Amino acid sequence: MPLVLFKTPHINFMKYKYVALAVTGAIVLAGILNVTVGKGLKLGVDFGGGTLVRVMFKTPVAVGDVRLQLKNVNLGNTVIQEGEKKGREFQIRTMQVIKTADDQAEIEAHEKLGNQVIEALKGDDGKAELGRGLKDLNTIDTRELTALLSPSFAADAPQLVESILNLRNTKGIFADHAELQEAGLKPEVITFLKDKTFLGKLTILSRETVGPQAGADLRKKATLACIWALIGMLVYIAFRFKLEYGIAAIFTLTQDVLITMSLYSFSNREINLPIIAAMLTIVGYSINDTIVIFDRVRENKKILRKETLENIMNTSLNQCLGRTIITAGTVFLTLLALFLFGGEVINDFAFAMLIGSIEGVYSTVYLSCPVVLFWQKLFPSQKGFRK
Amino acid sequence: MKKGLGWKILLTLAIIVGATLIFYFKRINQGLDLKGGIHLRLQVITEDAVVMETDQEILRLQELFKKNNITYASLTRNSPGKFTIQGTNPDQEAKIKDQLDQYLRDWDYALAGTSTSVSLKPAVLQYLKEQAVEQSVETIRNRVDSFGVAEPIIQRQGKEWIIVELPGVDNPERVQNLIKTTAKLEWKLVKAGPAPDEATLLQSFGGKVPDDMELLKGDPKRRAEGFFLVSKVAAITGNDLRMVRRSVDEWNNPAVAFQLKPDGARRFEQVTGENVGKQLAIVLDARIQSAPTINTRISDSGIIQGNFTIEEAEDLVIILKAGALPAGMKTLENRTIGPSLGADSVRAGLLAGLIAVLAVMIFMIVYYKFSGVNAVVALIFNIIILFGALAYFRATLTLPGIAGIILGIGMAVDANVLVFERIREEHALGKSITNSISLGFSRAFSAIFDSNLTTVISAVFLFQFGTGPIKGYAVTLIISLVANMFTAVFVSHLIFDLTVTKKAKKLSI
Repeated sequence: MPLVLFKTPHINFMKYKYVALAVTGAIVLAGILNVTVGKGLKLGVDFGGGTLVRVMFKTPVAVGDVRLQLKNVNLGNTVIQEGEKKGREFQIRTMQVIKTADDQAEIEAHEKLGNQVIEALKGDDGKAELGRGLKDLNTIDTRELTALLSPSFAADAPQLVESILNLRNTKGIFADHAELQEAGLKPEVITFLKDKTFLGKLTILSRETVGPQAGADLRKKATLACIWALIGMLVYIAFRFKLEYGIAAIFTLTQDVLITMSLYSFSNREINLPIIAAMLTIVGYSINDTIVIFDRVRENKKILRKETLENIMNTSLNQCLGRTIITAGTVFLTLLALFLFGGEVINDFAFAMLIGSIEGVYSTVYLSCPVVLFWQKLFPSQKGFRK
Repeated sequence: MKKGLGWKILLTLAIIVGATLIFYFKRINQGLDLKGGIHLRLQVITEDAVVMETDQEILRLQELFKKNNITYASLTRNSPGKFTIQGTNPDQEAKIKDQLDQYLRDWDYALAGTSTSVSLKPAVLQYLKEQAVEQSVETIRNRVDSFGVAEPIIQRQGKEWIIVELPGVDNPERVQNLIKTTAKLEWKLVKAGPAPDEATLLQSFGGKVPDDMELLKGDPKRRAEGFFLVSKVAAITGNDLRMVRRSVDEWNNPAVAFQLKPDGARRFEQVTGENVGKQLAIVLDARIQSAPTINTRISDSGIIQGNFTIEEAEDLVIILKAGALPAGMKTLENRTIGPSLGADSVRAGLLAGLIAVLAVMIFMIVYYKFSGVNAVVALIFNIIILFGALAYFRATLTLPGIAGIILGIGMAVDANVLVFERIREEHALGKSITNSISLGFSRAFSAIFDSNLTTVISAVFLFQFGTGPIKGYAVTLIISLVANMFTAVFVSHLIFDLTVTKKAKKLSI
């Protein structure tokens, strides 16, 4: 016997279409209000411009200390987020609004803010050591390290440099010279490095500055790309099904995006380029779902000629329910894994998609289908179904 | 076994083996977000090139007028591409017109009384700007190549923007310096200086900079401090260099040695010969690097000193070899991603992806039993083809690209679910096993086809109009969905054909 979780049920989905539409409408409206007059969308560095610095400390630091250090140099207006390695990784976005007549002056001002943040966090760390001619092993680059090791270790130097830097890449930062043993270094190499290098208290993981022109361009391109993608889908679905199905699909997708966006707005998460990709993924899942149902409706219309469209939709939804739940379930499973184990950067992304995967199913049932029904009520067409 | 399966098996094997080989031999490029590196968006200040052209034209005209005994009061640039000749003698109008017609073919002019306004023809102006951007791209590429960066991307975007992507660079500041330095190198005779401030310097000139001189500051990082007055006309420039290499000065400090082309050497010899005992300033981007005293006539070689570190001297050699940028650069966007940030994402992303795929596979096998195994095989094939294609098209894998793969995998599993559910449905209606299988595939096909194609269409637009990360997403998605149509429909059907015989009583689904 096949393992069946869901026998084809007979649920009258369409019965609740008004309730559902009201709920959808309310959610969307709340979202739009929140985005426009409420909290608004928090644009990340990609679209909003500014500087974002990610740093990693050698030893754990309290968020409050970081905030205080920045406040002491008049950089209080920054957003500080703790990264994945609690207390050691921080993401700092300078929020000072810099308005200058000249774009170049603006981006330079942003870069300067970035420098100030780093200097404030570093403080006097390493200055004495640098003065004594020591190098900071936590920030040294390939060339410098090669130059340092070459005189003493000659032919082995390139290989030593590679293994040291590889280990640093995995760890982010060294807290103690003893950690170098993990790179398989001989004791004499470690002693040499202990002698010639010190370990600075922080390293910069990444640093991004986006000026106003670039931000505007990224915004424009992302919007254009999304609009064209939506038009492309509308045309194809209208061609393969009927105009109202295309329109219904676009309605659904718009709602998917709006809801995700308002969730971002409510949860104070920033919109960045990768988030756009996440939203597009949601749109992708949702459209996939919608088309599967529409396809079944198209097929059933040929078989059940006498039935009303509403009944056909109910039948189709019921017939596809097993598939819908299994697919949504597996997708949910995939995303949950990403959300839980995907690390800091992917996590944000997976958050958008987790919501979207549930929302996509709902929108297919309670937005795509009712829109088609209403359209046909508004513009009753001749009988029959175009292929 | 059914007839006619031979070619299907061969095709499937060929594709899988091909994809595996490609993946094995060509590695997949990782994007900056995964591997680390620099992403720069620069704007070429194209007006610089026009200003330079205008100034050169003014200098040429001065010589022409001198040669032809045309008198004038002043020649001044009003804006980039526009200048005025003032105080000319109306009697010489014909002569002036004649000279302008003959030698300033790229310029329009309007002569009224004693003044003439001259402006660059719009088409030429456009061409100059265009050239400036093209040349900048070329120069940056040369500099980056001689610095040695693997797989750099340097491309023009729009009218005057340039995108520079350098994966895996671990000393961002140095590289940025290397790219953005205009590197306009000039040797100019020092007329006065150094002085601690402008006023002291200009005392003997009546507080004004004379017309044929300019006021320059010494570069505090170099071996020249304070203010200098130097001649406006350069004795020689970076264009006269034949060869440069890193060298040392007499105190064994890093320096850059140069040799001049014959023409430049002739001029250099003349200038140094005539000015023994005076200072000759070496000016880089309007900053004086050093102003050594000319001890003797020098012909075709010398060194540039300036308190350089070894790296700075090396970089100057690279920059001088690649030549100067025709115009200045503005930074619009500057992203530096360290290698460890990406390394973390890759590790976490791979782990999560692996767990996700395994969970899905286990679920499919538990729920669909043998048919689930079929789906798993199809999914594995899908992933193999995806990575083979990514390697083949030299696509760059980015974080959003991973999202594209996830959507692709989700849709691949969905295609299998659609087919299997349909087979169950048909079988429940009392159809034979083989019949149910082929009906399942044929009836589910339109849904799979339409949903995949709709998504492909949207991805094509995203690829066309999107930038970096969105493009990366579109690429993996398109490849994944195309592979999906092959594995979830063709390969999966083939596996059923190979494993389920007509006599089968039960279907494990």
